[in-house]
Amino acid sequence: MEQDKYKIIGKPEKRVDVLGKVTGKAKFADDYNVKHQLYGKVLRAKYPHARILKIDTSKAKNLPGVEAVLTADDIPGSKVFGIVVQNQSILAFDKVRYLGDGLAIVAAKTKEIAEEALELIEVEYEVLPVVTDPEEAIMPDAPKIHGDNNIFVHHKVRKGDIEKGFQEADYIIERKFKTQFIEHSYLEPEAILAEPAEHGGVRIIGSVQNLFSSRRSVAAALNLPLNKVQIIQSTLGGSFGGKDEVMTAMCCRAALLAIKTGKPVKMVNTREESMLESYKRHPYTMYYKWGIKSDGSITAMEIKIYADGGAYASMSPYVTWRSVVQATGPYYCENVKTDVITVYTNNNYTGAMRGFGSPQVNFAIESMIDIIAEKVGKDPLEIRLQNGFEKGAITATGQKLEHNVSLKEVLLKAAKEIDFQNKWREYKSQSDAPIKRGIGIACSYRGVSLGAEGTDAAGTIVSVQTDGSVIVSSGITDMGQGAQTQMCQIAAEVLGITMDRIVFLNTNTSRVPDSGPTVASRGTIMGGYAAKRAAETVRSTLMSVASEMTGYDVEVLDLKDNYLIDKDSGERLASFSELAAQCFKKGRPMFGFGWYKSPPTSWHEENGYGNAYFTFVYGTNIAEVEVDTETGKVNVINFVSAHDLGRAINKQTVLGQFYGGVAMGLGYGLLEEFEIEDGIPKQLNFDEYLLPTAKDIPNIKAIIVENEDAAGPFGAKSIGEPTNEIAAPAIINAIYNATGKRIYELPANLERVLLGHKLTRKGERGSVQKEKEELIIESCKIK
Amino acid sequence: MKPFEYKFSDKLDEILHILSQSGTDAKILAGGTDLLIELRRKPKVYPGVIVDISFVNELKGIFEDNNHITIKPLSTHTKIFKSDIIRKKAYLLSEATSQIGSLQIRNRGTVGGNIMNAAACADTVPPLIALNAEITLRSQNSVRSFKLNDFFIKPYKTKANPDEVLTEIKINCLPKDAKSTFIKLGRRNALSISRLSVAAVLQQDEDGKIIDARIVPGAAFPTWQRVVEAEQMLIGEKPGIELFRAAGAKVSEVMISYTGRRWSTEYKEPVIAALVRRALERCSI
Amino acid sequence: MKKVNEIMNKVKIKTTINNRSYKLDVLPNQTLLNFLREELGLTGTKCGCEIGECGACTVLINGEAVNSCLVLVPQINGKEVLTVEGLSDGEQLHPLQKSFIEHGAVHCGFCTPGLLMTAKSLLDENPDPTEEEIRNAIAGNLCRCTGYIQVVEAVKNAAGEY
Ligand SMILES: Cc1cc2nc3c(=O)[nH]c(=O)nc-3n(C[C@H](O)[C@H](O)[C@H](O)COP(=O)(O)OP(=O)(O)OC[C@H]3O[C@@H](n4cnc5c(N)ncnc54)[C@H](O)[C@@H]3O)c2cc1C
Ligand code: FES
Ligand code: FES
Repeated sequence: MEQDKYKIIGKPEKRVDVLGKVTGKAKFADDYNVKHQLYGKVLRAKYPHARILKIDTSKAKNLPGVEAVLTADDIPGSKVFGIVVQNQSILAFDKVRYLGDGLAIVAAKTKEIAEEALELIEVEYEVLPVVTDPEEAIMPDAPKIHGDNNIFVHHKVRKGDIEKGFQEADYIIERKFKTQFIEHSYLEPEAILAEPAEHGGVRIIGSVQNLFSSRRSVAAALNLPLNKVQIIQSTLGGSFGGKDEVMTAMCCRAALLAIKTGKPVKMVNTREESMLESYKRHPYTMYYKWGIKSDGSITAMEIKIYADGGAYASMSPYVTWRSVVQATGPYYCENVKTDVITVYTNNNYTGAMRGFGSPQVNFAIESMIDIIAEKVGKDPLEIRLQNGFEKGAITATGQKLEHNVSLKEVLLKAAKEIDFQNKWREYKSQSDAPIKRGIGIACSYRGVSLGAEGTDAAGTIVSVQTDGSVIVSSGITDMGQGAQTQMCQIAAEVLGITMDRIVFLNTNTSRVPDSGPTVASRGTIMGGYAAKRAAETVRSTLMSVASEMTGYDVEVLDLKDNYLIDKDSGERLASFSELAAQCFKKGRPMFGFGWYKSPPTSWHEENGYGNAYFTFVYGTNIAEVEVDTETGKVNVINFVSAHDLGRAINKQTVLGQFYGGVAMGLGYGLLEEFEIEDGIPKQLNFDEYLLPTAKDIPNIKAIIVENEDAAGPFGAKSIGEPTNEIAAPAIINAIYNATGKRIYELPANLERVLLGHKLTRKGERGSVQKEKEELIIESCKIK
Repeated sequence: MKPFEYKFSDKLDEILHILSQSGTDAKILAGGTDLLIELRRKPKVYPGVIVDISFVNELKGIFEDNNHITIKPLSTHTKIFKSDIIRKKAYLLSEATSQIGSLQIRNRGTVGGNIMNAAACADTVPPLIALNAEITLRSQNSVRSFKLNDFFIKPYKTKANPDEVLTEIKINCLPKDAKSTFIKLGRRNALSISRLSVAAVLQQDEDGKIIDARIVPGAAFPTWQRVVEAEQMLIGEKPGIELFRAAGAKVSEVMISYTGRRWSTEYKEPVIAALVRRALERCSI
Repeated sequence: MKKVNEIMNKVKIKTTINNRSYKLDVLPNQTLLNFLREELGLTGTKCGCEIGECGACTVLINGEAVNSCLVLVPQINGKEVLTVEGLSDGEQLHPLQKSFIEHGAVHCGFCTPGLLMTAKSLLDENPDPTEEEIRNAIAGNLCRCTGYIQVVEAVKNAAGEY
């Protein structure tokens, strides 16, 4: 059956880039070195908010071994960049807005000299008041970060009549939730090597995620046309959405130094520099107010969210748009009013990170649904099955779901696997032992790809060589998630060849078309579709040559296992290599270019509705935990993750995305927190920013559900983000099941679980600072 | 890393000589798991000379004689937790060293470095104090001994002089019928510094009465010490949950009497009590 | 304070790296990690934190897994160092390398060299480890991509080939 439908699709083919990665030969950005390279370093801000009065670089310039010291004044073109709002400075010139802002750059013969030179740069500041809390930043008298309004995005969703919805309700439940800054924690810190190029431009190789947007900024900064700025992606040591603007800044800075000195310039961030400068996942403060009937149905959802955008706009407009679209979760509700307000502060700026605006809201939604379940005396699975979307449902944004809505399928499959309901009941009433068990569930629906957020198109090239080997390249990049491999598998499937024939070329802006950013789980669906089309183009040429060669009709021929075969008899008529050689001899093109533009979507910003995404994915995570009620320590002991991803192009990389996504979600729920106090970050390396280790991650049972979707290549959709976005709420709900205490603020660390709030040392030693009281209002309406 | 002069020898005498010549800006290097991190931070007072003792074989090994165990300071955490002698006669130290950092850190970090670095969260110190450890420091011209619990002034500060090398740690073997444990509470299950910890030893007589009790909390007090007030509550009694709970509460009380109420007390107060109770429970089954 | 620049001595060492012996004159104020990457061009060993937390820099010294970011170069005097580049036997991949490939234990690959070295030291000493022993051994190697599950499977299965 299914199994035999495809040769390569769905198989655990090994990653195309894996050999180099196990032998140490794979070249990551910092592994590139050339003779006479200089080392670049950045002077960063001393205060989180200050006007720059004067930068004196003369002493630094005179240090032997220093070849250039540059400030914003030395930028010939645009001094600012930004994907949506162009207000991020390459080097700060008017003000510094957070501690990671760069002011000056140095190129020197050694790293040590460059660092020494930084210390010799003198900056005069006028220190400005700092604002770090989004709700304070919207006050009229708050210090302004850019212009005269700190609010820079306000997305809305409006559906039905919210007042009427609350009137119909039997209960009204209000809660406040908060999430933390999260550091992407790609294991490879940012690095690049920039070299002056023959034509007066630059050639950059490095750990860049979104090559094309970085290229645009470098070109604008240097007043160069795009064709003179070449950016090549080195093997990327993880990104998770994180190597975008921070890399753009690094590219611009290194390119400036390279052009100025005429020499190659290497720039590498230490982990501390990386954590200080790089953008994070947005912290959200979320006010959820739901009206419910005593049967558990939801009559109204009023949601207000403040997102901390930090010092620059970055991807905030897109990220928070996904939040507004998905803020109600996959639950029926006629009356919805959602507002997501994003503000500037003097914190690290926030942008794209795996999940892209969903992990925050899913924490709130999936906590709320459990809260209402308890209120009406249902269990968490029942309430989800009762309220969850089915095919034909109308979402909060008024979109009718026409594809296969498999929410209930994933819920039931996951629940069955772990015997959810029985365990949940049992754990609810367990004895008084200090170590308590709990189980929690969370589900989600998630729009695939960018959606109405932006133009969504990508290109892939498949080029057959005269010996029958194949090169695939794409504008979609691989960050470790296996996108390359999936594109190669698709090409191999279409061409009837084995994977060992294919090499993937690292993305190079001068050789492949601008395909937008590889974010929002676009890799498989966009790059993959484009690969399919490219391979199909080549295939049709090959087949017509094959027909000429053999005299058979195209219809009876097929390509299989590196051979041209007779479909009926299975007889091998020629090898793929012979066919390729023949094709070349006949002067036919063996090069295919595939372009894929996503199906249409729509959005009405003013009135807050539209067909936000062309399709959605559905998933459920269930966590089983052990809570030490005497210390607050939580161990996740069991995990089930069921996701409908359309089709798994590569089972092994898909499983990897399940496991990795859940692990990252576990960190979000229990451990990770990038704290910024008065604009000063507290965790700058992995001794304090705590990632889960191999001893913190339980075994994870992955359930792959495959309902092919017409929108994706071979029916495939996406997986990288869904597994990640609902791990934390499953854990939080499990903690509640164990302890009867609900966590409203992430992460659920020792103190929060034991005491219900975090401890912070603030101000003078010894003083105790408690978090503000949680907002918990429940009202039973008298009718 | 900034420049420094590097000196090494595989003979203790020569090391002591080098140190005597080097003045106060010399730093001893053993496993380097604390020192290299410090050097990378570019501290204001940067050492001019690094004296590498890692090649000195006389400073390695674990030996038993007459109810005493001598642990040489270059013993790594891995060596200690793999040592049969330690497992049999000083079990809690074996438990403590097995939980330090990661495999890589345990392979490199030494017990001497752990003591001399004197971080409040040093995991070998509470067990060593529970084992009544005595240490020997040598310089070119002197040999000094300390009871380990007398050796620390405050976190990161000991009574050692810059030219002194810790050359020996001596502990009493635990009696055959004594039970011991080390409980470490960290934020994650590996690579974790102790948020709090407890080292405990209990010995009961034939009737089950407690005849020896030792309790040393870690990361709780300004410096480490046995909590005699709690230990005494146990002597002569039979193990029991209420007794252990009371002992735990006593440890909390004593802790607060030293530290005062601070930002972290709200958490540490109940938790150290619970950990002490658990440690005692573990030692009595 | 003294100006140490002038007095810094190079140190003569003898060492074996990936089964090749070297006699070297090294500056002492560099970590083994930097030395391998920058002086010897052995860039397979990765730098992720420089403070002993991530394990990306793990190499073997006399068979023991250590963080090369926490070793001063002169400390390898007289010792044998093995890096990921020395793991395979020519073209012949080490069983761990094969197993990592087969089990999808490599995603972005940045943590992989370190993990391979730690796993090798484990299997050399304990050819049939339990899952718990494997997790214990690799807990000092952070991986942000895999969630460790495929890594644990890979090590378990490579053990069969030992
Ligand atoms: C990632 C990581 C995790 C860690 N986890 C833990 C943990 O869980 N628990 C824990 O307790 N510690 C932990 N540590 C700290 C450290 O590993 C230990 O303290 C270790 O025992 C230090 O030993 P060392 O030999 O490496 O010391 P070094 O760094 O060589 O030296 C430390 C200090 O002691 C001095 N010194 C060393 N030996 C002597 C001697 N014989 N005589 C006189 N002075 C000497 C040195 O001059 C230096 O000041 C961790 C460290 C890291 C990097
Ligand atoms: S670089 Fe050495 S442990 Fe991270
Ligand atoms: S594979 Fe990316 S960090 Fe492990």
